[in-house]
Amino acid sequence: MRRAAITGEATTAPTPAASATFVSKALQDWFAARGWKPFGFQREVWKAVKKGESGLLHATTGAGKTYAVWLAALQAFAPTRPSRAAALPLTVLWLTPMRALAADTVRALQAPLDALYPAQPGAAAWTIGARTGDTASGERSAQSRRLPSVLVTTPESLSVLLSRADAKEVLGTLRMVVVDEWHELLGNKRGVQVQLALARLKTWRSAAGEKALSVWGMSATLGNLEEAMGTLLGQPGGTLVRGQVPKKLVIDSLLPASSERFPWGGHLGLTMLPQVIAEIESSTTTLVFTNTRSQSEIWYQALLAAKPEWAGLIALHHGSLDRGVREWVELGLKKGELRAVVCTSSLDLGVDFLPVERVLQIGSPKGVARLLQRAGRSGHAPGRPSRLTLVPTHSIEMVEGAAARAAIAAGHIEARTSPEQPLDVLVQHLVTVALGGGFLPEDLYAEVRGTAAYAQLSRETWDWCLSFVRQGGPSLAAYPDYRRAVPDEEGVWRVPDARLARRHRMNIGTIVSDASMSVQYLGGARIGSVEESFAARLKPGDCFLFGGRLLEMVRIREMTAWVRRATGKRHAVPRWNGGRMPLSTTLADAVVQQLALAGEGRYETPELQRVRPLLEIQQQWSALPTPHTLLAEVLKTREGWHLFLYPFAGRHVHLGLASLIAWRVAQHAPRTFSIAVNDYGFELLCAQEVDWPALLPQVLRVGHDARSQEAMAHGDAEAGRRAALLHEVLQSLNASELAQRRFREIARVSGLIFQGYPGEKRSNKQLQASSSLFWEVFRKYDPANKLLLQAEQELLAQELEIGRLRDSLTRMNTQQLVVQQVPRPTPFSFPLMVERFREQLSNESVADRIARIVTQLEKAAGAGRPSFSDEEAVQKVRQTLAFGQETRASDVTKSQRRSRKPSRPLPPL
Amino acid sequence: MDSSSVFPENGLPVQHAGEHLWLLPERALWWPAERVLFIADLHLGKAATYRALGQPVPAGTTRENLARLSRLLQAYRPAQLVFLGDFLHAAQARTPSVLDALAQWRDAHADVQCLLVRGNHDDRAGDPPVTLRIQVVDEPWPTGTFAACHHPQRHATRTVIAGHLHPVLSLRGRGREHLRLPCFCFEAGCIILPAFGEFTGGWTLSPQPGRQLYPVGGQAVWRLPEG
Repeated sequence: MRRAAITGEATTAPTPAASATFVSKALQDWFAARGWKPFGFQREVWKAVKKGESGLLHATTGAGKTYAVWLAALQAFAPTRPSRAAALPLTVLWLTPMRALAADTVRALQAPLDALYPAQPGAAAWTIGARTGDTASGERSAQSRRLPSVLVTTPESLSVLLSRADAKEVLGTLRMVVVDEWHELLGNKRGVQVQLALARLKTWRSAAGEKALSVWGMSATLGNLEEAMGTLLGQPGGTLVRGQVPKKLVIDSLLPASSERFPWGGHLGLTMLPQVIAEIESSTTTLVFTNTRSQSEIWYQALLAAKPEWAGLIALHHGSLDRGVREWVELGLKKGELRAVVCTSSLDLGVDFLPVERVLQIGSPKGVARLLQRAGRSGHAPGRPSRLTLVPTHSIEMVEGAAARAAIAAGHIEARTSPEQPLDVLVQHLVTVALGGGFLPEDLYAEVRGTAAYAQLSRETWDWCLSFVRQGGPSLAAYPDYRRAVPDEEGVWRVPDARLARRHRMNIGTIVSDASMSVQYLGGARIGSVEESFAARLKPGDCFLFGGRLLEMVRIREMTAWVRRATGKRHAVPRWNGGRMPLSTTLADAVVQQLALAGEGRYETPELQRVRPLLEIQQQWSALPTPHTLLAEVLKTREGWHLFLYPFAGRHVHLGLASLIAWRVAQHAPRTFSIAVNDYGFELLCAQEVDWPALLPQVLRVGHDARSQEAMAHGDAEAGRRAALLHEVLQSLNASELAQRRFREIARVSGLIFQGYPGEKRSNKQLQASSSLFWEVFRKYDPANKLLLQAEQELLAQELEIGRLRDSLTRMNTQQLVVQQVPRPTPFSFPLMVERFREQLSNESVADRIARIVTQLEKAAGAGRPSFSDEEAVQKVRQTLAFGQETRASDVTKSQRRSRKPSRPLPPL
Repeated sequence: MDSSSVFPENGLPVQHAGEHLWLLPERALWWPAERVLFIADLHLGKAATYRALGQPVPAGTTRENLARLSRLLQAYRPAQLVFLGDFLHAAQARTPSVLDALAQWRDAHADVQCLLVRGNHDDRAGDPPVTLRIQVVDEPWPTGTFAACHHPQRHATRTVIAGHLHPVLSLRGRGREHLRLPCFCFEAGCIILPAFGEFTGGWTLSPQPGRQLYPVGGQAVWRLPEG
């Protein structure tokens, strides 16, 4: 406390304590010794922290943000004279979203400390340690006796610390918390976990009458930085510091020699390979980002096949590879030994790889913020620009390059917001706090409401959560003999059962991965993991591509797939159930703007010029979408009556919209529809005649059945419309089945499902049950359980993006509807038809059919160039499909697959 | 005893090992000739076990299990009720409420003869209380042309009726429609019953030559087309 007074007043007092300036001077010398000059924003942060302020620093990676915050901490909180005490208490907590980054962060923080030692041994008395899931048990037990003065950790490990019985003693000494890569945590449950933990730490500070905790976040570019800061700090105010580093940014596209007029998903993939190789050859080190892990496997393999001499010079990096493999790749990147790394979002975060000169993005970047983040991974050497080159995988994607540039120029970047009141996280937190010294409900209620995520938490919901951890629910009879946390005689809630306490600590966290199976060489190293469902489909002798190698399945035993190297042709590519990320509203809007420009004949960017022939055909046969018009295309084929609609709202919303419209049409007359969606629009196909021009204007309006009209009649108009829409969306989708999938995560986080102790696969068998079993039992015997409700809400908010769907419907109602009767598929509708074929048929016939249709369409478009022969065409299609943006790769390469039945029809209504 | 109750409307008659058997949608097997009702994998007190170990699972499953069993007993009036193992889920399942419910159920059906063939869970959970008057035996237990077992197996001379697996069948329909239904599984020399108990989960069986699966759903037992 006294020390804080000395250093804390340094900037305001005219005669600052000599020792405080001395630390600053030593640090400035350290800067100078490295030929660096503090940036303005770094000084700004130093000053703000000294004044005891909290805030958010917005800067790209490699802009010196770590030193901005770390040197601020040193100057504000480091001891000024050598301490006689053996060790200093925990003072600074540094949160990082990825445990793999912890070791790098410790190194980065250690560097100035070592340099300071000769000048200021007192400041260098700080010890720095890391605590993550990877920390060795020896160090863990040392930490359980005494924590270092600076601790680098993850949100999960922080929660585990909060559950220590002496949490208040060991964490109450904290002066500053730094949250690195806050943008990465903000929008998900891990961020909520951080909000709750920070509220706890702040309570301890103020209860002890100490100076307020200084909380600093670091974030990449977001559209709502003020809100991001408010969420982190849990209160208004705070200092937003913008890192002003003039770093040049180049966004361009690799353009194919000629644009194929009729793109199917993935069509351009293979044709782009030589150009991608040329780009890699012309740069020192290139990161090749893909959108899915399967795609990264396929591209890596294709690069190697084309350039066998690159073996050892190019590498693969994705989240399912073993940590050892990933670390080896990262090290190679740092040392500049690798020419290229094909990767997924696994390399979005992390320390800078200085040698990276170029970044290629295969397929759609999906969002402006994501594109900026990836671009920022390149060009860290002085004087180099950050450069990201888009590699379109089908023709329309070329427009996205021009659109992204325009969006960045206009400063249009996606916003990210905190989840609203996720009860599973709260329930977990209640038990954590009950373990970490216990709580009084009234105090904790106020504390929890101090966070952004639970600011609106009602008394009723709070009481439900309390009763849930106490006895399973509000009714005593519902869960006889069940107890988790209960109040003691003084009214302090604690966990009485030591076994439950241990189990809770092992299961803290909100990251729920799919059931995965480790992949390991026979008598050799672990390579990584694949999803259990994929491994289960493989028979011994089957081959699959993984970690850039062709592997043969030998046997599966105890959750491990034992493999050996294989040579051969036929293989599958694992498909991981990562979500297919939808195109962001910001980028989709920018794409429509570009199409409008094209509609006016303004082909001003290289991307638009290249895609011009295709857009002109679209305009001739139908029309181009614009911000003010909603394009609908109606087509009659042998298959039936097609409707193509282009709201440009991303695939999730399109699925919801398509289901909704189909459902509303079926209210007029029973119909069955097939649905296909992509990021630009959707297709509804019906075997019977549908008079779309007459029906469409009606079905785009809200309020189609009695119940939704009734909902609209109650309350105010806006709330009524919302309720009506919600009702309709739930009716139109098989919502209960979809919600069941969300429930898995919720059940795990809230402690309904016990995942077992690491390495204890066989014990506690009597407690293992699948989430679907829990789902059924809860639905039948405790339907009012609020966690079931949460599953439905998360489904609506995250998978169907109900807010975005509502906005899209509102917008569609203000747009002028342009219905085009087209005689044949247009360039925009064709990819949607292909999307549906893919679902419907075995792959052989997909290739045959696409090739046949393309040839027909080329003829209709009056193509001057010779079209390839049928055999060639089929071959070409088959190959290029494999490079598809989000192709089901396993369907492509595994020829002996059972054919799929027609896709996603709605139940007959 | 009217015939309609002996030959249920919504059951499925099958001919196996020279015997007429009825597959019941309540997930039980009815052998009219000897008036025996077979039940597999009741797992009584499973939810109570979870609760005792600190996992919240709502109450009601035991009551529902016993109510369904009572309905069957009233409908068919069997001479013998055979439990094919896993009667109680675990030792922790022997809570007062579970045992009280069981005692009441037994009082209501005092005349039926009960037999339990021990399963793997019974080894740990222990035999049911003697007051329930359930004869407890080890597998295989010969009964007529059949051998009552818990674990599916082959018997030299008899057709085995067993449980243990909780067989479930995955039915895929148009689009991504997907149903997971408990099923009866008939193989040469062995009949496997679906788990009777609520909250018991299942093990997916795939169709194979020589294996006939009969899914249970919508209050009926279904015969699937060949292949």
